[in-house]
This record gives sequence, structure tokens and C-alpha cells, in this order.
Amino acid sequence: MTFALHAGLFFRRKLLETLRQPVWIVTGLSTPLLYLALFEPLLRSVAGGAGLPAGQVLDIFVPGILALMAFGAGMGAGWVVIWEMDTGVIERLRVTPASRLALLLGTVLRDVVMFAVPAVVVIGIAAGFGFHTHWGGLALMLLLLAGLTAACSASSSALGINLKQIGSLAAVVTGVQLPLTLLSGILLPLSLGPSWLQVLGHLNPMYYAVQAARDLAAGAIATATVGIGFGVTAAAAALALWWGTRSYHKAMV
Amino acid sequence: MPVTDSPADAVRTAGLRKAFRVRNKPVEAVNGIDLTVATGQIFGFLGPNGAGKTTTLRILTTLLPADAGEAFVAGADVRRSPQEVRRRIGYVGQLGGADASATGRENLLLQGRLYGMTAAQAARRTGELIEAFDLGAFAGRVARSYSGGQRRRLEVALGIMHRPRVLFLDEPTTGLDPQNRANLWDQLRLLREGGTTVFLTTHYLDEADQLSDRLAIIDQGRVIAEGTPAELKQRYSGDTIAITPSLPPQSLPSLERDLASGPFVRAARTSGDSIRLSVSDTTQAMAAAFGLLAGRGIEVRSASLAQPSLDDVFLRETGRSLRDAGPPALEDPAESGVPA
Repeated sequence: MTFALHAGLFFRRKLLETLRQPVWIVTGLSTPLLYLALFEPLLRSVAGGAGLPAGQVLDIFVPGILALMAFGAGMGAGWVVIWEMDTGVIERLRVTPASRLALLLGTVLRDVVMFAVPAVVVIGIAAGFGFHTHWGGLALMLLLLAGLTAACSASSSALGINLKQIGSLAAVVTGVQLPLTLLSGILLPLSLGPSWLQVLGHLNPMYYAVQAARDLAAGAIATATVGIGFGVTAAAAALALWWGTRSYHKAMV
Repeated sequence: MPVTDSPADAVRTAGLRKAFRVRNKPVEAVNGIDLTVATGQIFGFLGPNGAGKTTTLRILTTLLPADAGEAFVAGADVRRSPQEVRRRIGYVGQLGGADASATGRENLLLQGRLYGMTAAQAARRTGELIEAFDLGAFAGRVARSYSGGQRRRLEVALGIMHRPRVLFLDEPTTGLDPQNRANLWDQLRLLREGGTTVFLTTHYLDEADQLSDRLAIIDQGRVIAEGTPAELKQRYSGDTIAITPSLPPQSLPSLERDLASGPFVRAARTSGDSIRLSVSDTTQAMAAAFGLLAGRGIEVRSASLAQPSLDDVFLRETGRSLRDAGPPALEDPAESGVPA
């Protein structure tokens, strides 16, 4: 099947590109570990209420860190797309018979791998420090968060193609990063905040993924939260893939 | 699958139009272009920057939809069968398009696979092209490390990886040094000998003149002249030869009449102490004129010629010089004074 073959070829191309820049592999792993080493102790010292019971800090914090990793692994795609447009790579590939969705998926799949591999390492390390592991739930959580990475990666590519300028992309991504991550309860559960903050959180698609990830990490698989999390994430990923493919169809410097 | 009227045509367009909005005003980038390019030739598309060359090329290569008109490339309809067009054409864009983070070899292998080659076929073809374009010394390095000439060679190789019927190149020699430029010209001529149609845009007068079998001159989205370089120059600008004989002024009118009736001379007029001949073939007319003067023992004090250039064609049609319309890098060796 040509489509799968092309997607595989583009995936390999992107993976090679990443492996040739080991600095990204290092930061992909060091950032979450620094969060665990530097932020978790802070969290531990304020824990003890209903939203953040002492003794379960890691169980609440680790899924959040993993969601942050999923977000970060995806949002870098746009920068490379802009660079590839400026050097004519996208234009050249658009003149070949290759499917635009396959072209987009090459990057998306690479980003999923670049999320999943360090995520497994982080889970392993956190488990050593008292993170309670429920393997079935964790596997489903990784699948869910891979969907989040895919949604972020495809959106980032689409943003890059449409904005065309590194500066504009940087402004938009840093502009949405804080509200998106804060209002998903990644670092601190939103249940700690006032109700208006929780209402805002419900408008953020990432919030549902993070809530579902916490349930899954705790081994609670058959919950409504998990169902909603998968539903929202799948819809966001599908929308982003559609947008990314459409953008590739028109990509022009 | 729709086909062109004549399968011999590599490119045929009729009434091609494309407008962009610039600061909320529509700008006609391509304003009714009709082109026919026969198979197996090098076709030059000459015009200043902003004339609509790149936009036309992007329409023909399926990158950009036209607003109106039709275009057939290699026998397939660009609008209705873009996938079929993509299979049959190669494209080397102005920006290049080599993936800088992959090696030259990886670039070529991927390109081949995207056109449906098996891994073995792609490897064989990659080997051929590495040889033909002399990429062997650096094909294993990432393209980021290439010099401008090396990268351009890789990019042209990418464009012909799948042996396309028509190869489009957008300003392929811009930024190349003379040596690399000459090499690329040779490569394109070789491709033509192999039966590939080559369609290139350029703003270099000498490139259009020396490389193309036929060319179209484009300005403000319209084709203003089309033909072989020689035809165009002949059609649009008779050569002018100015001869200053060492004769008293009162003898010039009779000599003017005699020279005017010589071969390849369209008209003659006396200007000061020289006689200016408008000729259809400079070399032949000049030889005949010199023969006539020598036969009468008339000494020539000076003779100069203004050979027609493609710039003259552009000048006649637009009232502007292509050199003024384009960037300062334009060069045109055609005009020269010959002291006698």
C-alpha cells in the first residue's frame, strides 16, 4: 500500500534527522527529570489537602509531567516545517506523487516516538522513587498521551506552514503554552483552584487528557473520565491531522 | 485520463491566469498565458523578476491552482489529473529542495521510492546519478555541508531521479559560479539528447539565448514574444552596422546607394561621416560590404556593429530594458564595438 509505504519512508527520514541531533534526545529526557528532581520536592512540601494528599504526590504529579512531555514533543514540529519550506524541501516533496497526509504523519510518528521513549524512562525512574505503577493503565495512558502528541505535532506543523515566519510561530506557541498547560492541571490539580479556574479548564481540550491520564495511572480504566479523555483527544488529533494535511496541500513560501 | 490535442507537446497552456491579492489589491501575476512547448527541446522562459515566471511554473507543476485557463503537461491535465502530472514531471525549484539534514544518497533514495521504485531500483538509479553528476566524493555527507555547486548538482539529480518526461527548473543557475553554470548547461543539453523536455525560467539574457532551443519572453504576466532565439532577434531588431569610410562627405550618398543594394541589407542611411546599414544577417552583410569597399580600394576608418540581443526584443515590446527591469547581475555579451 503506497500510503503506508510513504508514511514509513517519511517517518524514517524524520527519525534519522532527530538521531543526527542528539541534543534533542538529551533535552527530551533531562527536562522531565529536572521537573521531578526540582519541582516534586516543592509539591511535597505543600501537599496534605484534599486535592493533593500527602503520600500521593508522585501519583498525581507524574501523569502531569508525562502530559507536559507529550505536549512538548509535539509542539516543535512547526519550526522544522518553516525551515523546510524556506529551503524548498516541502515544495519538492509536493511535486512528487507522495500523499500529503503521509508527509505530515512522518513528523507526527517521529514526535510520538520522541515522546514515548523518554516517557517510559521517566516512568521507570519515578517508580523507583515511589510512583505506584499500574501497568495496564500506564500502557493505555501512553496511548492516550501519544494522541495528544499527535494533535500537538500536526497543529504545530499547520501553524508553521500558515504563519511562515519563525518569529510568529514562536509568539503563538509561547502564547498558548502557558494557558494550555496551566489550565489542564498539569503541574497542580485544578481542583485546588477557585471554581472559575475550573470552568476555564473545562474549555481546554488538554484538561480532559490530563484528567484521564491521572485515572489511568491510578489503574482506574473503566471510568467516564477516561472515556471522555480518549474521545476529546481523538477528536483533537483528527482535527489537527485534517488541518495539517490541508495546510500541506497549499504550503507555499 | 484527459490528454492534449497533440501528444508531441510537452506543455500546452491556454488562457492561463492567476491573481494574488497584495495589500488588498488584486495583482495579475499570470495574465492569459498561451504556451506550446514541443517534446525534446530546451524551452527558456525569460523575464525580469516579478514577471510571472515562477507563478506559471508553479501552476504547471501542480503546486498552485490557476484561476482560469487550462494547462496540459506531458499529456495530462494539470487541474483534473495532478497526480498523473506529478508522476511524469521533475521539478527543481528556486529554493533548491535538497533535505539538508539527510545525505545526498538518502535524498536520492527517498526521492526514488516516492515515485514507486523498489529499494533495489532506487539504489541502482542513485548510483547512476552519483556517477553522472560526480557526487561520489560527498554523497555520504549530509547536504548541509555542501557547497552551492554541489548542492545544485544534487538538486538537479533529484529532479531527474525518476526519469521524468518534462523537467522544470526555476532559475537553476542563479548564484552559481561560471564553471558550475557551464556544467549545468552541459547536463541539461545531455538530458535533451536523451529525449527529456527541459523547461527553465531565467532572467539571464545569455542563458536564454545560448541554452534554449525556443523561448518565450514574459513581462507582467503576459508572453510578449516567442520563438527561437535567432528568430526573435531577427524579427524584432535588424542588426545595425556603422561603417566610416575614408571618403569625402560628397561621395557618401552614392556609396550608400551601392551598399543598400547589397545582400542581407534592409536599409542604409548616412549619419555624419558614417553609413549605417540595417541588416538581416550581420556577418554576411558585413562581409559583403567589406568586399565591396575593398574592391573599390576604399579604406575603412572604423566599423562597429550592434548585434541584436534579446534585450532589444524586450525593449521594443515593453519600452524598458530587461536589465533595468531585472537585478543588476544581468549580463549580455551580444553588444560589442569592433574597431577596424
